[in-house]
Amino acid sequence: MAGIYVYSDEPGLVAELLGFALSTGKQACAVTFSQEDADKAQAFGADKVLFFKGASPLAENYAKALADYLAAEQADLFLAGMTPRGRDLAARVAGYLACGMASDVLSLTPVAEGFTVEKMLYGGVAVLTETLASPAVVTIGSGKFDAPAAGDSPVETLEVPSDMRVRLVTSAPLVQEGVDLNKAEKVVGVGLGFSKQEDLSLAEDLAAVLGAEIGCTRSIAEERKWLPVEQYIGISGAVIKPQLYLSLGISGQIQHVIGVRDAKTIAAINTDENAPIFKAADYGIVGDMYEIAPLLTEALKKV
Amino acid sequence: MPKIVVCYKWVLDEALIRLRADESLDFSAAEYKISDYDRNTIEAAVRAAQAIEGTTVGLTFGTAEAKRSIKDALSRGLDESYWINAPEASRADGAVTASALAGALSKIEDVRLVVCTEGASDTFARQVPPRLGALMDWPTITSVAELHIEGDTLTAVRKLKDSLETVEVTLPCVVAVLPEINEAPLPGLKAVLAAGKKPVTELAPADIEADLSPKVTASSTRAYLMSRKNLIIKEGSAEEKVAALVEHFHKEGLV
Repeated sequence: MAGIYVYSDEPGLVAELLGFALSTGKQACAVTFSQEDADKAQAFGADKVLFFKGASPLAENYAKALADYLAAEQADLFLAGMTPRGRDLAARVAGYLACGMASDVLSLTPVAEGFTVEKMLYGGVAVLTETLASPAVVTIGSGKFDAPAAGDSPVETLEVPSDMRVRLVTSAPLVQEGVDLNKAEKVVGVGLGFSKQEDLSLAEDLAAVLGAEIGCTRSIAEERKWLPVEQYIGISGAVIKPQLYLSLGISGQIQHVIGVRDAKTIAAINTDENAPIFKAADYGIVGDMYEIAPLLTEALKKV
Repeated sequence: MPKIVVCYKWVLDEALIRLRADESLDFSAAEYKISDYDRNTIEAAVRAAQAIEGTTVGLTFGTAEAKRSIKDALSRGLDESYWINAPEASRADGAVTASALAGALSKIEDVRLVVCTEGASDTFARQVPPRLGALMDWPTITSVAELHIEGDTLTAVRKLKDSLETVEVTLPCVVAVLPEINEAPLPGLKAVLAAGKKPVTELAPADIEADLSPKVTASSTRAYLMSRKNLIIKEGSAEEKVAALVEHFHKEGLV
């Protein structure tokens, strides 16, 4: 039956995506691949919960079975949460359906011919508006839609073949090496303006008085390996919304700035007054970070 | 000899795109480059080729502009290169790109592994590798942070939202790697000179079986302008500048 089919490996996001599906007035179905997930989704208020039951423990391995089902039902939309697994499954389904897909959209609106989305382009420099005809595949993050009122949905179990070619060997929790920047109220960012790893102590001292965590640019984490990759901020790294982001010796390439542009206040210290970071900043000091940072640390101690 | 194909993209350098106040984009100063993360992907393929004692083939789908990418890609250690030269590439969506790449891949013999980047630096859509796997009906592994090949078995460590997942597959397969998989060296002068002598195959859309009509209709593009206060302190001694910044922080209730 036509409708909107949603999937996420994050239960909270499943509920939010169902909120969107129900708001369109179309049939809202949650797609799950384990009994545990089906049981959880059952309480989210969906019109129906589908449990694709097969031998593989990996959701991605059901892409063909799911695509065949969506085609037979003439689904309007497959909407997945934008986690690595959600994106992977979504793109495979789009591949099997040979249909349009929009990844990691900023907004999603039903229109007569299908769906209109907005998404970022060129590393966040631009916003692109696109229209997808049904059937369509979209991935989106949390915080866009309200979860519906809890309900008691019927669960339909479908015995399906799964692709067994990719075999799961082990799964281990990802040990966070660095700090969780998403939880930080204030973040001090460090960039290539630091010439030696020891000099990061300047940023650490400043962060200590501010009560801030340390973040960095991709180069600092991946090229110089001074900080764990979890601590780099940018389009392919952490995207954060602190109260204050204070950058030290960061030129402000768009790929980095995109990771902090929802910060309430952005401040920057850089020697080059033409550095792009100043265009992205509320407050800035043009000056040598090696001189300014210790003075700022001392001044903040007195506040 | 078994082959490893690396798919890469020739993209606009977003750092050189200027934004106008009316929300339009100015591409006049923009240059092209190999998508940043593809540099690590090429290096991953070069290393994988040593493990299977095979050769590496670069593959790109692009407009006439992408011709300039070939020497750059070859200088990074690839043995030969394929270029699908198609004007359709300028308005391609994920469906079109995956279809074109699959069409070209069917022309290359003895491919054991296709290595893609998780996402290109312009769209960062992360669609093409799984779509390609679906079109070719090859097993696909995405979000790969580590890659090992022994005999016919490829083992990958996938970095997911909050887990590290180790999976294995029997070749052939498609993998999508994360930039953190390795450190890509800068090509030396010798490699750059040698790149000019490596074989290049140009394909036209008519040479491949592919659906080059996009499934997504783009309606508008606007600059993402950020509205910030831009109060930049340039004058005065270092102490005065710091005092002025602290004053701003104070007013914002940040200290």
